Amino acid sequence: MHNLLEFLQRHFHWLLFVILEAVSVALLFRYNTYQHSVWLSTANTAIGHVSAWRAEVEKYFSLASANRQLTRRNYYLERQLAQLRRLYQEEHDTIGTREQRQLDSLRRYQFVEAKVVANELHRANNLMTIDKGRADGIAEGMGVACGMGVVGVTYLVADHYTIVIPVLNSQLSRISCAIRGHGYFGVLRWYGGDAGHAYVEDIPRHARFKRGEWVETNGYSSIFPPGVLVGRIVEVYNSRDGLSYKLKVRLSTDFGNLRDVVVITDKSIEERMRLMQSARDSLKLNVNE
Amino acid sequence: MTADTLKRAALFCAFLLAQVVVLGRIHLLHYATPLFYVYFVVLLPRNYPKWAGLLWSFALGLAVDTFANTPGVAAASMTLLAALQPYYFELFVPRDSVDDLRPSLATIGAVKYSYYAVPLVLLYCLLFYTLELLTFFNWLQWLFSVVGSAVVTLLLIFSFEIAKSQR
Repeated sequence: MHNLLEFLQRHFHWLLFVILEAVSVALLFRYNTYQHSVWLSTANTAIGHVSAWRAEVEKYFSLASANRQLTRRNYYLERQLAQLRRLYQEEHDTIGTREQRQLDSLRRYQFVEAKVVANELHRANNLMTIDKGRADGIAEGMGVACGMGVVGVTYLVADHYTIVIPVLNSQLSRISCAIRGHGYFGVLRWYGGDAGHAYVEDIPRHARFKRGEWVETNGYSSIFPPGVLVGRIVEVYNSRDGLSYKLKVRLSTDFGNLRDVVVITDKSIEERMRLMQSARDSLKLNVNE
Repeated sequence: MTADTLKRAALFCAFLLAQVVVLGRIHLLHYATPLFYVYFVVLLPRNYPKWAGLLWSFALGLAVDTFANTPGVAAASMTLLAALQPYYFELFVPRDSVDDLRPSLATIGAVKYSYYAVPLVLLYCLLFYTLELLTFFNWLQWLFSVVGSAVVTLLLIFSFEIAKSQR
């Protein structure tokens, strides 16, 4: 306190100087018309600059709400885009048309539409349940397909539900198929693991085909009509005994996103197969004789 | 102290009257006006209380302003000059001089007095006309006013100093 007083005493004249100068300047700018106008215009310029700075700063504070608005707008536009894309796909998209073509090819046969009510992907022997059964005309050993391709074969049939063995069953699924356009046929098998890929075995060594070609059912069994898609060849291996090729196929059916399937109940396939069987039997009898 | 105060008051009145009645009306060549009252600050002795010097100068400036209708111009300039004067004069004080040495031709000599008085008066004129015009648009007018007024004022101050020293 003492020091403060001493300090004030020692530097009192500076304080006085500042006060007197302030009074003088105030008088100068207050009571002189010209100086007053200069003061006003200068002050206005200065205030204008400060206001501009303040506006700049305030702009940053309003960025948060601008951001929120942009996010909302972005979400809205994204949704609109998705909607438009779906509409466009329905009109033009290749997947859409391919699906349509598949259903058309199946439509020539009798079939029962069903919904998948239970499905599994990650076991070695997956099973699938659909919501149609014996009451709808389904029996054991019928083919199941969807718009994208082959799904599996019915296994156990109850009155209103059916267990299907999908392609993704390493133990029980054996579907006969062929390379489109070439006719060489093999057996579709799956060994567990990746639900997107399966293997076609027993393709003969003399077969000529390329990677990227399609594999489809060949219609040689009583289960599927010919031409149901299986998938696309991605890799070619030699089989273990070296007598045939083994193809890695990218399945066209997305088992992870399967909802609507059809069960092929056409009797004509069975009839043809029965004819074939009887022919074989008679040949066997002939040979035996 | 009281006698000194009275003397200052008398000087104050004399400078004010001289400026208001006579000197303030002179405009030599339209530019040079004697601002003789700045002599009041120049006369302040060594170790004069700084606050008193400031107050006297401010009051004199304000009084002159009131009559010249330039409020604040002389007051601001005089106050600034009075704040600087004690420190500036200290530079010219000879060794072994008295505590309340008065700045004059007789006490510090003509050369030192010139070095002391000329910059002070020039600074005063500079401040005064800068504040009064408050623009450098007419910088030639400003320069003529500053230099002319400083010259006329200094002439008056030196005349007085010479007269004082010959008495």
